[in-house]
Order: sequence, then C-alpha cells, then structure tokens
Amino acid sequence: MNEHGMDHGALLAQSVGDFVQHGADLPRVRALAQGRAEFDAAQWRQLAELGWLGVLVPESCGGLGLGLAEAAIVAEGLGRALTPEPYTAVAVLAARTLEGAAASPLREELLAGLAAGSRLPVLAWQEQPDDFGGLQLATTAMPFEGGFRVSGEKSFVVGAAAADGYVVSALAGGELQLLWIPRDAGGCSTAAQPLADGRSYGRLALRDVVVPREHLLASGAAARAALDRALDHAATVTAAELCGVMKRAHEMSLDYMKTRVQFGKPIGSFQALQHRAVDLHIQQELADAVLREVVAELDAGPDPAARARAASRAKSRCAEAALAITRAAIQFHGAIGFTEDCDVGLYAKRAMTLSAWLGNGRAHRARYARLSAPAAREAA
Amino acid sequence: MSDWNALSDEDFRKEVRAFFENEFPEEYKFLPRRMRWHECRDWYLKLSKKGWIAPNWPREHGGMGLTPAKLLIYYEETERAGVGRMPDQGLTMVGPTLIRFGNDAQRAYFLPKIIAGEAIWCQGYSEPNAGSDLASLRTEAVPDGDDYVINGSKIWTSMAHDATHIYVLARTDKAAKKKQEGISFFLVDMKTPGITLRTIRNIAGHEEFCQVFFDNVRTPKHNLVGELHKGWTIAKGLLGFERLNIGSPRRPLQAMEKLETLAQARGLMADPAFVERLTQLQLDLADLGSLYRRYVDKVRRGEALGPDVSMLKVWSMDTYQRLSELLIEAAGEYGAVEGEVAIGGENVDVLSPFYNSRPGTIYGGSNEIQRNILAKYVLNLPS
Repeated sequence: MNEHGMDHGALLAQSVGDFVQHGADLPRVRALAQGRAEFDAAQWRQLAELGWLGVLVPESCGGLGLGLAEAAIVAEGLGRALTPEPYTAVAVLAARTLEGAAASPLREELLAGLAAGSRLPVLAWQEQPDDFGGLQLATTAMPFEGGFRVSGEKSFVVGAAAADGYVVSALAGGELQLLWIPRDAGGCSTAAQPLADGRSYGRLALRDVVVPREHLLASGAAARAALDRALDHAATVTAAELCGVMKRAHEMSLDYMKTRVQFGKPIGSFQALQHRAVDLHIQQELADAVLREVVAELDAGPDPAARARAASRAKSRCAEAALAITRAAIQFHGAIGFTEDCDVGLYAKRAMTLSAWLGNGRAHRARYARLSAPAAREAA
Repeated sequence: MSDWNALSDEDFRKEVRAFFENEFPEEYKFLPRRMRWHECRDWYLKLSKKGWIAPNWPREHGGMGLTPAKLLIYYEETERAGVGRMPDQGLTMVGPTLIRFGNDAQRAYFLPKIIAGEAIWCQGYSEPNAGSDLASLRTEAVPDGDDYVINGSKIWTSMAHDATHIYVLARTDKAAKKKQEGISFFLVDMKTPGITLRTIRNIAGHEEFCQVFFDNVRTPKHNLVGELHKGWTIAKGLLGFERLNIGSPRRPLQAMEKLETLAQARGLMADPAFVERLTQLQLDLADLGSLYRRYVDKVRRGEALGPDVSMLKVWSMDTYQRLSELLIEAAGEYGAVEGEVAIGGENVDVLSPFYNSRPGTIYGGSNEIQRNILAKYVLNLPS
C-alpha cells in the first residue's frame, strides 16, 4: 500500500493503462528493420521506474513481489504498444529463474539490479528448436578447483542484444547446472540472428569460459525445478503479450472496415467480412478467457504437471489466435496491408516472433497431449 | 438442506458422482436421444426429493444455488455418468425467467410445480414463417374479458408432446412501428381447449419435436409475464440464458468421452496425425470451458448477459460438431453403422453425436444469425 491507499497491483494496472493510452512508438518499431537498436536505455529506465521490471522480484530484493496476474497486465500493455524491449525475457524468464536459485550474494545482486534496471540478465537455456525445457543439453561445465570451464552453444536467446550476462544451463557430471556468465567473460561471444520484427535472437558461443564457483546459481533438481517453472511462467506471460498484439491488430482491422468504402459502402457492412471478423473476435476472447484462468491457476502454485499443462494451453491458444488475427488484418486492409507503411504488418511480424519463441502453438499442443490427454476433460 | 458450496470441489464432485453413477437408471445411461417424460419421471422426482433438481436456481426458490465452479462440476458429472437430457425447459428457461421477470404470484404458483415435476414446459417461439427472423412471428393474442385469446401455430417445439405447459411469444399490437415491439410473453396450459399437436420426426428418426396449433386458445390475463408488448425483451433475456445453456461444454464433453474411448480401443493414439487433431479438439473444448465460466460468473454476480454471449454458442456448437465428425472418421468403416457397434471391446454409438450436434447450430438463433448479432452489437460494424 502506498500513501494513496492503493496497492501495488492497482497502481500497476493504472500505469499500464496510461502507457497504453499514450500509444505505441510505431515509427521506432518500423525503424528496427533498418538497423535501429532494439533496446533503448531510456525506455528501459522508464520501465524500471514504473516498477514493471520488478513485478515478480521479491520485495526483499527491491521488487514488488507480485504475481503473474500483474506481469500479464504489463506484458499485454507492452504487446499492444509493440514495445521491443525484452520485458518477458528479463522480468519473467530470468527473474523467475533467479528467484528459484539458491540464496547467494550474486542472486540478490542480480535480482535487485534487474528490478532497478541496472543489470540485464537473460537466460541462455536452449540449444535445439522445439525443446521446451532444454533437455537436449550439450553444453558442459567441467569442474576444476575454484569453478567450472563451460563450453557449448546456445540459440534463441531473446534479450541478448542488451544483456550484460547470461544464466547458462550446462551439464556437470550428468547434472543440470545454472551458471552466471558475464557477457564479456573470456571465451563468450554473442552473435545476433535477425528476426522478422526487427528484434534478434542471440547465438552464444562458449569456449572454455572460466566461471568461478560463486557463479553457480543452482544445481541438480533445484536447477531443473527453477528452470521449468520459469519457462512455464514466461510462456504464459508471452501469451499475455500476444493478447495485447492481437487485440490492437483486430481493433485496427475493425476501424478500417468501418471507414474503407468500396461498392459505395463501408466494407465492414459485407456479411462475408463480418462473419470472418466475428470468428476472429471469438478466437481473441477465447485466448483472453484462457489466459486469465491460466494466470490465476499458476499464481495459486499448482503441481508442476498441472502448471505445464495450463501454460501450454495458454501459449497454444494465444499464439494461434494472434497469428490468425494479424494475418487476417493484412487481408482486411487489402493491398495497403501488404505495404511496409501499414502498421498491421508490424503486428503480424511481432505475432510471428512471439509465437515462435518458447514453443509455438503446435509444439505446445504436442506437449499438452504428452502431459495430459485423458485429463483434458477435467479442464473443460 | 446442505450448503453444497461449503464443500471442497473434490468432496462435492465425489458426492455428485456417486449419486449419479449409482442412482441414475442403467438402462437409460448414454441414451442417444432426449429422454421422454415417462422414461425420466422417476429420476426427476428422485432429484427433486433430494433437492438437486434445479442446481442453477437460487436456494430461496428450491434450487441448489451452486457457485459457477460447483455448477460446472454438477454438469460434468451428469455427462460422465451418462445421465440423459430430460424435458428441462422449466428448469433452464421458465424458472430463471420468472425469477427475473415474473411477479410474486407467478413465482409462487409455477416455481414449486416445476421443482415437483408437476409442470413440464415447452417453448413456443418459432413459427413456420418465423425462424431466424423470429420477430416476424404472426401468432396473435387478443384480449377478451379476463383472458387473452391466442390463434396461430408454433413449430420445432421440442418435447411438446410431453409438456403440460408452453410459454408463447405472441403478437399483441399489430400496429407497432417495429416488429420487435408489440410482442408479449404468455404462459399457457397445454390442456386448454383449442391446442392440437402434430409430431415431427427428426433426422435421426426420433419424435423429438412438434408443431403446435392454437385455435382460439384462452389463457388468463394473469399468465402474461412482464409488461404487455414487452415480450421481446424477456425473450432476449431468455435467449441469453439459452445461449449460456447451449454454450455449456457438457454436451461436447460427452462426445469427447466417446472419441477418447474409441481412439483407445482402435489404437489410434499411435497415429500422430490423429493425435494432433484430437489434441486440437481437446484444447478447443478445454478453452470453451474457460469462456463458459466467464459467463457463468457474470450470471452468478447478477449481471445481465449482453449480446457477446452469442460467441459462446457459436464456439460450443462448432466444437461439438467438429468432435462428432472426428468421431465418425475415427470409426473407419464403422462410421457408417447406425446404432451401437462393438469396436475393440467397447460399445460405441458413433452416429448419435453427429445427429445430436446438428440442431445446435440452428435453434436458438442459427450460428450465422449469432455472427450477425456479434458483428452488429459487439463489433459495431455497419449494416
């Protein structure tokens, strides 16, 4: 509670509302394709000052100590505005992983810095596509007196463009380890792989990177638990971001259908287009309803199997709905929708990158099937 | 009477499951059609005696007053046990309408009769020339002394041949400017002289609905519900309930159970192409549950349902039909066989979900009409 009697959650919702009202800086988003930096330090500071980066960070580390419900509100707002900064990668995926790590001065330092915006840790957990959980792990951490020597390659690292270091997964003696590797550590190099929406994945090459023992964040079952939980939570918050993207894109389509005149009438009066717009609206509302339920379910702290099933349900529905809505937005806008100048293309591309990251719709459907085919009934 | 809402979800589910599994008559479980009154009367009375006949009504009127979560569990367990669909218009439609729009005398007279199984209701809405365009209905009610005199005809009236009462939309003001104005909502006893029935066989061969003829049928003036000429508002309020009811996941759930049983029995879970399609439908159904609970929560908070509830009906019935179609496909050659077939040690009626899911996209306003409504009133698209 602050002096106005509002709790953090209410304040947060208000500040996200203001942010969304302010609108998106779409010229900046468009310029990403021409090489403009995907990370803006001033914007990031603002997100930190608003408290958004520390939504999930415990209060003892200077965060707000709130839940996924609040993180989802922030992510949906950022999705609407097409903000390119790596909110979910840092403030959810990295924050949740660090939160799950064993208490240590490094953990507290990274979490506090993450919330304040002064540190930018991201997770480097994935090596192969379609490997949610990072089970196909080839990176090794060879123990030696005083630390580890880490070698391997990591892909699909969102947020790497601005990261000051990585939480890297590696195997030591067949056991999962999570280790902190500063960006400028000797033997660690980062290459950018450009994405459709102007952002990038980082590709990490780790060659005999020397990591001191104090940089070991979690090990064995504890590391596995922290990583799995963080991935489910980040996939769910990405679903929220996709909700923001799809809602704004569909609004743009509906606005256009009301104003664009052909055959002497607004095209939105044609039943073929109306029914198509309605079916997409239904997908949007399904996505919204699922997301809200899943977020509440995850905040209640379910067992890992239920959590995984719920997260996959949210990501698959929200990813598919966002893709359908943004692709239809191009069609509804006609030839203009196919131009670089038209904003709907920016939304379609963001939907594509957010859908692909952390498992696309198909991957999460397959995961849902593996986890719980007979239990699907119970969820309905 | 117990406070069911005080039980944990698990305890409530256990209790409901045990009762449905043990008490619902074996011979009617998973009946591939609606139950006739003579078949379900004992069950209806048993539920009534137990206080379980109206899970969706408030307790003050004899219902269970269940929270949305509990109500869903109740419906899920109904499906799981294969409890058949009874003539339920009184429970799902008339009760909630009288609670919201009726007067004290109507509630005091009719609600206990519904609970006791003494009044079985059917719905007099559609007419031969008023289907999707319901507001163009021509059945007429004219005041005469203490009565209204009704003339005209209603059609597609489900279970009218089992009903003791019918609720009727009739035109009371032919001069009204808009066709939606000048319609009133009446309660009519089916024993009233002048009512005749013609039964109609549906596509599956069952006598499920009727045409009802009104020839100078007199109903007392106190059987007018709400204000004169304002019946359309009530009908729309009812359609909200109806769309919520049609939008419930419980009917598609039953088809999903069959599909999962059949898939296991035929070894289809080893076919990745089939599993992908099955999973998509499982998610469509699970996500329907999320959307449904959103609306049930609204109803329980006492909020009126807006036109957006139409999307629930569209999605639910669309999902139900796609499920019934995958069931037929999963059955291979058996997908052409009428009635129950033994497949891999399981008895499955492959075609009944296909038949049962057909009318859902037609009645209560076709899915195409629902999309028109959503386009106009929710998306505010021009006409």
